[in-house]
Amino acid sequence: MRNRLREQRTQRGLSQAELAAALGVSRQTVISIEGGRYLPSLPLAFAIARFFDMTVDKMFDPDDEEAGT
Amino acid sequence: MMTFIRPRLRKPVGIALGGTLWAAAWVVHGGNGWQWAIVAEIGTIALAIGWYVRGGRDNDDEDALAGSHADERQQLLSQRSWALAGKVAMLAAFAGVVAAVAARAGWWWPFAALFAITGFVYLLGLSTYGVGEEGPADDADDGHQMRSPVSH
Repeated sequence: MRNRLREQRTQRGLSQAELAAALGVSRQTVISIEGGRYLPSLPLAFAIARFFDMTVDKMFDPDDEEAGT
Repeated sequence: MMTFIRPRLRKPVGIALGGTLWAAAWVVHGGNGWQWAIVAEIGTIALAIGWYVRGGRDNDDEDALAGSHADERQQLLSQRSWALAGKVAMLAAFAGVVAAVAARAGWWWPFAALFAITGFVYLLGLSTYGVGEEGPADDADDGHQMRSPVSH
């Protein structure tokens, strides 16, 4: 499952460390989520989506073809 | 008990306690055991300090685990690693029992005990962590509700 986390973070000019601090997770976890190597829990997925004023299904896209668009 | 200790100190305190027990065992052992006790205690203190220093860093997942401030992914990593350790311990104990029985050796029982303990704790874990999954299926409930009180 791909996501728009990196895209949204860079659009807002945030570093991975700043986003991690805002979400209450480690920088390594932000890196893992951005790289698609870790699927966050539902609470964390909602926290990420809320942080960027998006819905969860807009932030996390199970369809790889549409994820990059 | 550990929750009363600052997170960064939890692992170092655990290491210090374990190492001190190990050193005490050498003292109780008698003879020249006190020399091994000193070595064990020095090693333990060095390891505990090293773990404390590492717990204050933010370079990788092990640092977060050492400092007991792991997030959900890092806790999952730790759980998986402990699960792997448990599996390997159980398999090693089974291999030990098999080898001891084949060799007609008298040291089979520590392996059997470890095998029994790991197996029991696995079942205990299933019972403890699976307790919320019990209960009738929704469709079974629906069946009761749909049955008419005047149909028979």
